Amino acid sequence: MNTLQRHRKLTAIWASEPGVRGLFSTVNHTDLGRMFLAVSFFFFLVGGVLAMLIRAQLATPQSAFAGPEIYNQIFTMHGTIMMFLFAIPTFEGLAMYLLPKLLGTRDLAFPRLSAYGFWCYVFGGAMMLVSMVLGIAPDGGWFMYPPLTGPLYSPGINTDFWLIGITFVEISAIAAAVEITVSILKYRAPGMSLDKMPIFAWYALVTSLMVLTGFPPLILGSILLELERAFGLPFFQAEFGGDSLLWQHLFWLFGHPEVYIIFLPAAGVISTILPVMCRTTLLGYGWIVASATGLAFLSFGIWVHHMFTTGIPHMGLAFFSAASTLVAVPTGVQLFAWIGTMWKGRPSLQMPMLHLLGFFFTFVIGGLTGVMVAVVPFDWQAHDTAFVTAHLHYVLFGGFVFPIMAGLYYWMPHVSGRKRFFRLGELAFALVFIGFHVTFMAMHWVGLMGQRRRISTYLPEDGWTTINLISSIGSFVLAIGIALVIVDLVLHAFAARRSRRDPWKAGTLEWAMMTPPPAYNFASLPHVNSRQPLSDDPDLTIRLARGEGYLPEPENGWRESLTVEISTGKPDFHVIYPTNTRLPIVMAAVTGVFFVSLLLKFYWTVPLAVVGVTILAWRWAWSLGHKADLPLRAIGHGFELPNATQVGQSPSWWGSVFLLTANATFFGSLLFGFAFLWTVAPSWPPPVWFSASLLELVLGLSGAGVGVVAIRQSARANAQGRDARVSLGVSFAGALAMAAAALGIVLRAPTPTEHAYGATLLVLGSYALFHALLGALMMAFLYARVVRGYTSVRRHAEFPVVTLWIDYLAGMSLLVLAVAHLPGLLG
Amino acid sequence: MKDIVRILIAPLVWLASFSAVYGLHGLICGHGIDGTVFGVVSLPRLLLVGAYGLSILIQVGLVWALHSARLGSPSPFVRFVSRATGWVGLVSAVWALLPTVTSTYCL
Repeated sequence: MNTLQRHRKLTAIWASEPGVRGLFSTVNHTDLGRMFLAVSFFFFLVGGVLAMLIRAQLATPQSAFAGPEIYNQIFTMHGTIMMFLFAIPTFEGLAMYLLPKLLGTRDLAFPRLSAYGFWCYVFGGAMMLVSMVLGIAPDGGWFMYPPLTGPLYSPGINTDFWLIGITFVEISAIAAAVEITVSILKYRAPGMSLDKMPIFAWYALVTSLMVLTGFPPLILGSILLELERAFGLPFFQAEFGGDSLLWQHLFWLFGHPEVYIIFLPAAGVISTILPVMCRTTLLGYGWIVASATGLAFLSFGIWVHHMFTTGIPHMGLAFFSAASTLVAVPTGVQLFAWIGTMWKGRPSLQMPMLHLLGFFFTFVIGGLTGVMVAVVPFDWQAHDTAFVTAHLHYVLFGGFVFPIMAGLYYWMPHVSGRKRFFRLGELAFALVFIGFHVTFMAMHWVGLMGQRRRISTYLPEDGWTTINLISSIGSFVLAIGIALVIVDLVLHAFAARRSRRDPWKAGTLEWAMMTPPPAYNFASLPHVNSRQPLSDDPDLTIRLARGEGYLPEPENGWRESLTVEISTGKPDFHVIYPTNTRLPIVMAAVTGVFFVSLLLKFYWTVPLAVVGVTILAWRWAWSLGHKADLPLRAIGHGFELPNATQVGQSPSWWGSVFLLTANATFFGSLLFGFAFLWTVAPSWPPPVWFSASLLELVLGLSGAGVGVVAIRQSARANAQGRDARVSLGVSFAGALAMAAAALGIVLRAPTPTEHAYGATLLVLGSYALFHALLGALMMAFLYARVVRGYTSVRRHAEFPVVTLWIDYLAGMSLLVLAVAHLPGLLG
Repeated sequence: MKDIVRILIAPLVWLASFSAVYGLHGLICGHGIDGTVFGVVSLPRLLLVGAYGLSILIQVGLVWALHSARLGSPSPFVRFVSRATGWVGLVSAVWALLPTVTSTYCL
């Protein structure tokens, strides 16, 4: 097979459907990455327009531009859109587009999951936009503090749009995080050991792990607040054993890591682009990896620094103040590594570099004001003033928007295959840079003069008029700059002349392919020996196109790739991907029915949506696997690999590990909430405790034991060629026993509307019940697979996956039983 | 996966111990735990400083393990990064929980 024949054959296998139809059925990471980025930049523009409205309102005192009700919606939606619908999805889109190319593989681990996440994002984002168009957008601020957002003070549907819409969008974040984590750990080019991974992949890995552990507390908080609003469960009402501070804890357990979830991918972009712009290699690769990891963990330990004014005892304040100052250290290590990279190289002032310099100047100021607000006495003075708004914009615009702009200019030739020819970008950068600093430097100033955040207007005698006017003028300069960036990029995409491949002379693998990239990325997969494979071997692109790498000959029309051992990068499994399908968009739409039903309180359609999602998920999983054993696949260079359905730790197993990590964080947050209310909230102890039931305890304990043992027996029976169905049936019964024990808690919990204790037990019991039913469903699925011949002695990958979920179910059920029954048992 | 665990373990344990000490502090203040031990040492202070010391000891153990030939990674790169994150965990434990020694606890 010659190069052209190979290209045509691979294109036929990997290409999306032609035309608009392809948008709805594509599962290709390049398509989905571009779609994610297009939608996220649309939301960036919407958020930007809202920012302009805010500045128009504040430009003059006693402005009649917008009344307080509309103004509240504007600033709430500005923050919400920029955080949830622009920043996070931009990371997801960039990672989806780039990672397989950087890692030297053909697609991400779970292509259909990428598509499902994308459509959840689109539908959830559309919900938020609809609320805005109808004038019923959320209006409680982007962090939605109760009691303001509780049923008493925000009785309309506005807050529900936020709680339900954002939870819907967060499915997308969790899906992408699982996808990215497994892809980075397992889907790399042979030879790419951990020390040879592109630096962006390290950042994306750390960020994805942060999403998996940072988002669940917010999802939990949103569910609890919605339960309070819809059904009167008083989690945040002090008179009924709740506490509004619980929301702040749950929100900031998400909210502070969120800042780093936004910054770290941008830092990955910087670490990738900067050495290329400086014609050198990255200084301190290992230090940067360690710093990014340290920063991720530190960011989780400082959530209370957003709550310094809530009356927390001095020692608590001191813990979080000390931890907050620590963050400056790993951030500083990265900054000095970048400065060192510039020092040892020969910086070239091209468009991406301009934005990187914009980043340095802006982000350092944001970091320094961050250290200022980490110091408690200063924070007490500056809290809830425009100073904090200015600080966060320096961090987020400086730490995210400038690097992403650099990334846009850097990778546009990759996306379009064209070379920029107008000089509009330089002018745009100048306007953005000047406009930004005029806007937000002024905002620091007016904040120090006492202007509070979120105020809709002020009086002339406050003395803030001139500064606000300067700030507003700056913001419009900034907006003109952003508009010029868009014009520049549009001109680039449609009018620029064709570029040669790798215009920046970069050494990373995304440039070792045609541009724009083909659907399959690499005609054959590279073997990697260093962090700069393309610099080491300038002919690599041609050799890969000729089929001199791995998997050069497509087989059976399959979309094929391979996985590697995590540490060493040694090839371990052969993977066959699913092809184009509308299943993800349909499933996202049915998931949307679930959320819209909750929003509109059409509760009779909720079970229909649940059944719909269950049927689609069943079909989703059923389409994987084979009814016959597959022989070892020769991938070239003397390697023969087993198929991923015939191994113990398949990609699905890894996906389950990380999904369960997010799930366990959710559960841990729920237990934390319970302990917090018990310890801190007023109106405790509750009027009545849950009465322990020996029958339910025995049922739950025996169900957990039987379930865990029997699922292992079934796997063993399958491995020995015996009938696994009996053990599966026993394990199924174990799951049902756990369901019965959980149902006991749900039904017998003290009246949940009367005290937060009963409400919390209801949620804990429902969580356990849901997982028990899910476990039973998985067992039924596996049973059906055994009956239909999808498993064999060699095809056993599905057993470890179900075992993982049953183990989690058993452990979690035991904890729920202990939490519910122990107070009653102890009297 | 062992190498990833080596890199993550020390800061992860720091985060758990930091949250646990904060939780202990919450319990002490929320439930009004008070009193003295041997008539001189305040019980809350003893508990908090004890937890602080335990956190540091665990981190010292982790740093030692990451430096040891038996438990450290065979990969030089992972060995370097895991030791660096090990020190991140230790320094963070010493610094961020220092208020257990220096600050009033329930004011």
